[in-house]
Amino acid sequence: MSQPIIEIANLVKRYEMGDEEVFALQGVTLTIGRNEYVALMGPSGSGKSTLMNMLGCLDTPTSGSYLFTGENVSDMDDDDLAEIRNREIGFVFQTFNLLPRATALQNVELPLVYSGMAREQRMQRATEALTRVGLADRMDHKPNELSGGQRQRVAIARALVTSPSIILADEPTGNLDSKTGQDIMRLFGELWRGGNTVILVTHEEDIARHARRIIRLRDGRIESDEVNPHAPLA
Amino acid sequence: MNALESISIAIDAVRSQKLRSSLTLLSIGIGVFAIIASTSIMSTLQQAVNGQLADLGENSILIQRTPTINFGTNWAKMRKRKNITYAQAQQFRDRMTTTQLISISNESPAYTIKAGLESTNPDVSLIGIDDQYFAVNAITIGEGRSFIESEVILNRRAAIIGTDVVKALFGQGSALGKTITIKNQEFDVIGILESRGGVLGQSQDNRVLIPITVFNRYYTSEWDASVDISVKAESKLTLESTFDEAVGVMRALRSVKPWDENNFEIDTNDAITGQFSGFSSALLIVAWISGLGALVAAGIGIMNMMLVSVRERTREIGVRKALGARKRWIVRQFLIESITLCQLGGLTGMIGGLGSSWAVTEILRGTMPSLSYVMPWGTVVFSIVICTVIGIGFGLYPAWRAATLDPIEALRYE
Repeated sequence: MSQPIIEIANLVKRYEMGDEEVFALQGVTLTIGRNEYVALMGPSGSGKSTLMNMLGCLDTPTSGSYLFTGENVSDMDDDDLAEIRNREIGFVFQTFNLLPRATALQNVELPLVYSGMAREQRMQRATEALTRVGLADRMDHKPNELSGGQRQRVAIARALVTSPSIILADEPTGNLDSKTGQDIMRLFGELWRGGNTVILVTHEEDIARHARRIIRLRDGRIESDEVNPHAPLA
Repeated sequence: MNALESISIAIDAVRSQKLRSSLTLLSIGIGVFAIIASTSIMSTLQQAVNGQLADLGENSILIQRTPTINFGTNWAKMRKRKNITYAQAQQFRDRMTTTQLISISNESPAYTIKAGLESTNPDVSLIGIDDQYFAVNAITIGEGRSFIESEVILNRRAAIIGTDVVKALFGQGSALGKTITIKNQEFDVIGILESRGGVLGQSQDNRVLIPITVFNRYYTSEWDASVDISVKAESKLTLESTFDEAVGVMRALRSVKPWDENNFEIDTNDAITGQFSGFSSALLIVAWISGLGALVAAGIGIMNMMLVSVRERTREIGVRKALGARKRWIVRQFLIESITLCQLGGLTGMIGGLGSSWAVTEILRGTMPSLSYVMPWGTVVFSIVICTVIGIGFGLYPAWRAATLDPIEALRYE
């Protein structure tokens, strides 16, 4: 396996729901290397979302260790987590989550604003990212002037623009028709072939089939972790 | 980009929640309005009083048709008072026995003075005086001389000018012996006043003195034709008896019945200061307390608006946090928004306050012609500062709530 980006060992996440304790993750151990294409699957309640939040450094575990490119994430504070998300993780959401008032270009620039990059450089990088997802001619459009597929492309450009270590996509085709969904999946395939590490979170077999490796969760544990025999050739 | 974006979000928030925003902004506006308007009006009046006190020497008594500062008194009655005519003032001067230091003058604001191609701003005070003026008032001639009695009697076109006027018309050159023009009448400059600097931002050197006889002929209108009489007692000891005599003589000249009140104003300079400062500090305290009270109430409104804004944009905050916004970025964004809201309200109040205090000054000029509007720069700056402080003070809690939202919860928020 290539150099690991994510190394998780015995990860446990416990929530308190009223008086009850809920174990969303009960000891997950997982390693993901550079330039992998992973699908994270599982029914609702499997701990899939919790694991995704952990991987995305949006949440910290109750116990266990999480090393992200060698850095210990488990006990970072909010601002350190924000910084690592900004630098290392590109999020793609099911509902796109673009800022409605900002243009495509401004949306893509946003992570660079938070990393403190100068304006000129920001514009240049954001323009490049939008060109890469095929939206060079839509940069000044606001989200409500774009189709669903185009919005998701803007979101992908926003995820790419910081050159993150991983792209974490949560049901990225969930709000798209199947043809547009296929276009978006083709784009993820291109990104992966271009050297990016892609983690898809999905409950759809059709979508997961694009990945090279499929990890299935059930009841807060990894049920299976195998190479996808149906994956399209690189 | 981010600050501008926050400002435009704030303006959008005002637009989308018109009623609630306008009530909140209105209460900020009222607070700023109360503070600005009261301070401005008080400074304007203060300046009038100070100007007059500065002119009036020690142990002096001032007799006017209506008081310089006119409050709590019946305006209608004031307006009905007959003018103190020049003739009446001359009779007064002739009848007084306890002192001979009596000067008759009249003032009219806002003249443009010309000399050749140069001209001043249209804000020069024109004062008609007699030959006793400098003996009675605390004003001295720096260069040249004053009028002599015959010049006053014979309508001599001569002028004594302040240093601001000299500078405006003649630059560094000498003004003595030159000719100036005031509304088509030419005057020889025979004297220059000693520079006195400003009182509350209003220069005391921006004036031209001419013989009162000439003044009466060309520069008075019906409403300001009433002259002022300055009386200087021979000493502190005789001030009281001079005062009593002046009251008696004036009452006799103006045929006041024994049971009626004086139909003129007579005050020593101490009395004028006392009356005014008591009145003005009371009014300022009331205005500032209610103004600040309105601002605090408005602050609570701002906090409410910001909390709504935070709740409505929970998801956006989640996205921003997911993309790597640190706490201070989120705090900053919401603080800029709340400061913008406060400044919008403050600006409204400021425009209203300045406008109405200016209007009040214009109205008061009907009975107090020597008033001129004082722009309360200090208070304007203070209002901007206080709006910022309120924006920060009451925006901080909502901003902190936004910054500490759990990104996972926030992203899930519908």
